[in-house]
Amino acid sequence: MEWYEALALLLGSIIGLMAIGMPVALAFLAANIVGAWVFMGGERGISALLNNGLGSLTSFALVPIPLFLLMGEIFFHTGLGARMFNAIDRLMGKLPGRLSYVTVLGGTGFSTLSGSSMGSTALLGSLMVPEMSARGYKKHMSIGPILGTGGLAIIIPPSALAVLLATLARIDVGALLIAGIIPGLILASFYIATIWVQTRIDPTAAPAYEVEHMPLGQKLLLLARDVIPMLSVMVIIVAMMVGGIVTPSEAAAFGALGVLILAVVFRCLTWEAIKKSVVGAMRVTLMAYLIVFGSATFSQLLAFSGASRGLINWATGFELAPIAMLCVMFAVLLLLGMFMEQISMMLLTVPIFFPLAQTLGFDLIWFGLIMLLALEISFTTPPFGLLLFVMKGVAPPETTMRDIYVSAFPFMGCSLLLVVLLVMYPQLALWLPGL
Amino acid sequence: MQALGRVYTGFLYLMAGIAGAMLLWLMVSVIVSVTMRNLGLQPFAWLFTSAEYALLYMTMLGAPWLVREKGHVHIELVTAALPGPLRRVVSRGVAALCVLVCLVLAWKGADLVATNLARNDYDVRAYYFPRWMLTISFPVCFGLMAVEFSRFVFGDDLMHSGEAGIHE
Amino acid sequence: QETLTAVHAFPETLIYTQSFFEFVEKVNAAGEGVVQIEVRGGPEAIGMFQQPDAVRDGIVDMVYTPGSFYAGALPEKDAMVTSNLTAVETRANGGTEMIDQIHQEKMGVKYLGWFDSGVCYNLWTRNAPEFDADGNLEVEGLKLRGNAVYNAFFTNYLGAQVIDLPTTEVYSALERGVVDATGWTQIGLIDLKWNEFLNYRIEPCFFSTDLGVIVNLDRWNGLSDEARTILQDVAIQHEKDSVEALRTKRDEDFAALEEGGMQVVELEGEARANYLEAARSTTWERMKGLMAEHPMGDGLYDELIAKFYDLSAE
Ligand code: NA
Ligand code: NA
Repeated sequence: MEWYEALALLLGSIIGLMAIGMPVALAFLAANIVGAWVFMGGERGISALLNNGLGSLTSFALVPIPLFLLMGEIFFHTGLGARMFNAIDRLMGKLPGRLSYVTVLGGTGFSTLSGSSMGSTALLGSLMVPEMSARGYKKHMSIGPILGTGGLAIIIPPSALAVLLATLARIDVGALLIAGIIPGLILASFYIATIWVQTRIDPTAAPAYEVEHMPLGQKLLLLARDVIPMLSVMVIIVAMMVGGIVTPSEAAAFGALGVLILAVVFRCLTWEAIKKSVVGAMRVTLMAYLIVFGSATFSQLLAFSGASRGLINWATGFELAPIAMLCVMFAVLLLLGMFMEQISMMLLTVPIFFPLAQTLGFDLIWFGLIMLLALEISFTTPPFGLLLFVMKGVAPPETTMRDIYVSAFPFMGCSLLLVVLLVMYPQLALWLPGL
Repeated sequence: MQALGRVYTGFLYLMAGIAGAMLLWLMVSVIVSVTMRNLGLQPFAWLFTSAEYALLYMTMLGAPWLVREKGHVHIELVTAALPGPLRRVVSRGVAALCVLVCLVLAWKGADLVATNLARNDYDVRAYYFPRWMLTISFPVCFGLMAVEFSRFVFGDDLMHSGEAGIHE
Repeated sequence: QETLTAVHAFPETLIYTQSFFEFVEKVNAAGEGVVQIEVRGGPEAIGMFQQPDAVRDGIVDMVYTPGSFYAGALPEKDAMVTSNLTAVETRANGGTEMIDQIHQEKMGVKYLGWFDSGVCYNLWTRNAPEFDADGNLEVEGLKLRGNAVYNAFFTNYLGAQVIDLPTTEVYSALERGVVDATGWTQIGLIDLKWNEFLNYRIEPCFFSTDLGVIVNLDRWNGLSDEARTILQDVAIQHEKDSVEALRTKRDEDFAALEEGGMQVVELEGEARANYLEAARSTTWERMKGLMAEHPMGDGLYDELIAKFYDLSAE
């Protein structure tokens, strides 16, 4: 079978099955059964599918997501979250869209340090989206920034994905990490600008109610009582990570523990709240992890059948100007990113793209950063952007997938704009590591 | 028949309960292991390994319950555009397809358990753990899921609401 | 002409994978019109720990993988892990033949060749290692990264505080001080950039890499005699060539590391002998126990270690 036939078969079956309304996880499993049958020699291919799913699921890297979800759910169901956001609301006065800004700033800080975009989407999503919806924010004002900052996690150091990319591509790990700092901050500022524009275009997007004047003493009291204790849970787990007491994968467990302790201190921990939190965290985790189980083999079938390799070789086979070649590589990454998970994509593209980038005369650190941006965007591209499904799980029930796509687009636009800036001014990435 | 139904439902919720316990176990095992390490003690290696296995058991044992709760996301595109009667047919058809997928996986899962037992396979991490004790979760999970999806084929309740968007 | 499909356990850019590609090229040159190998990819095509099962089940015909990735099916791989010989010697003394027989019997796969042998493991640390009065390594307080291959040694003998981490997480764990020591092969530290944090290499080295090519047995038996001969001859040649190529690479790596400030610390005398003794005996113990559980039993145990370990070479 030719690579394009394999590609058409695999992508066609997954898109078709999802379109007729099959649950996403089942659609992946069904497409895999077809693919395994065709490419892995019939019945025995299905055993391989199950073995692969087992291997992908029993990985410690997946531990933080349910725990961050648990942390956010406990925050919400014990009322600690409401308490904190009430206080922040009153402290920040009447700035329109203030909680969106809080999301970007807090999210940048947190996702950056945690380095896990799935984990931070899970945490911020379960923490912010229900609260912001309850306060009358339109959905895109909470969902968009969270999806955006989730992606920032892999650009600003520390970032496990950046380390892996540098290792595979044999470029300087430190330089690639440092190269991400300035572009990452620029991206965060783009996000802030986007929110500002959104509240300007549509003043009803965020509630702009009057806030009564408060004397300074009362403000400080509010800050000390309702904000600092909650914030300190975050600060403590970040400090534990930076201090080498826990790995980023382990930090989430302490976050959940910290919130539990806080809830005890504030006397708002009930059995009802615990049960609701566990059920809430479980619903999202089970949904997302069955997709992980199903999609594990899908990426592999794309590789094993030769479909993705064929696409890459075909696309990079043209003799084009360097800048056009960069666009081709970027487009291939975006296309694959719709259907494959990030690590498989790197394993597949790095051995082809980096030598090519070298012959085209690109700086490899700069090219590595562009590639990370493509990977970041692919986290939130439909149909297979796991962050989108995690977000769907934590958002209020009436949220549609369309709402989520629409929320994500402006923030994906920011990333694309950053890529353009990097092409025009490579020094944005290369200045810091060159010092 | 009714008694059988009650036993079945009880089993389904028992599995979901175990899944919830696994989620809490993730938290406990990480906290204990990190605390031991930072006190200069040797953390039990099974703390780490059991957390990895807990991810599998949690997902497999909880997934059938989530079918009943309509918690597995699907996209309503075609089903939203169809007129009522046709939509019901398509919805039941999709559910039937899900039943088929689950039955195939339950059957091959049982096959895999038999192979693991015959080959005496181990999953090797910090310990040598009999592989069948992991793969046994496949026939249980997909078997129960097949039953749950078949409720949307034959029962009064439909999986699809007919409203555009994505649903859980 | 027959075509065998193949996958490899490690990413394409890794030196060991490159060595496998050389083997494939040699087969494809020698086997023109008779037998060809078609590489379908690495861990992105079939998960690294699922590859051994995939070759057993005939989903792919050939896999290049460490034996440790199928330790559950074949504990005898520890004979290679603990070996102080290279594939050249074990091919000559019948050790490889024996391992091949065990592979055929227990897994239904042909063990075609043990590549990239003769590379051993060192313990690498951030801080200057300390020794007790008898010259033994003090591991108290050492935050050591481990994995299933060497935990029997690290935990049972050294009593170290082992932290299990996947390879991809080690860089940031070193950076943040979650771990400050790790075992690793003599080659490859620079590629992983861990030398940015690690400053000491402890000698002697222990263990050996256990990378090999396994082929589905039905597929193997179904090949023509000519195809089998070509594959086997090229594999034996590559066993030899890869030892030499990697020795050169190791010397280059060591020189580059030492230029970057890596210091070498040697265990001496009795402490050294105890260290090596512990590395192999803890692992052999594990192997014997697991062999005994299998219907095949542990009858081959003594012969197996005799073929893979030369006590006089220490
Ligand atoms: Na980061
Ligand atoms: Na995607």
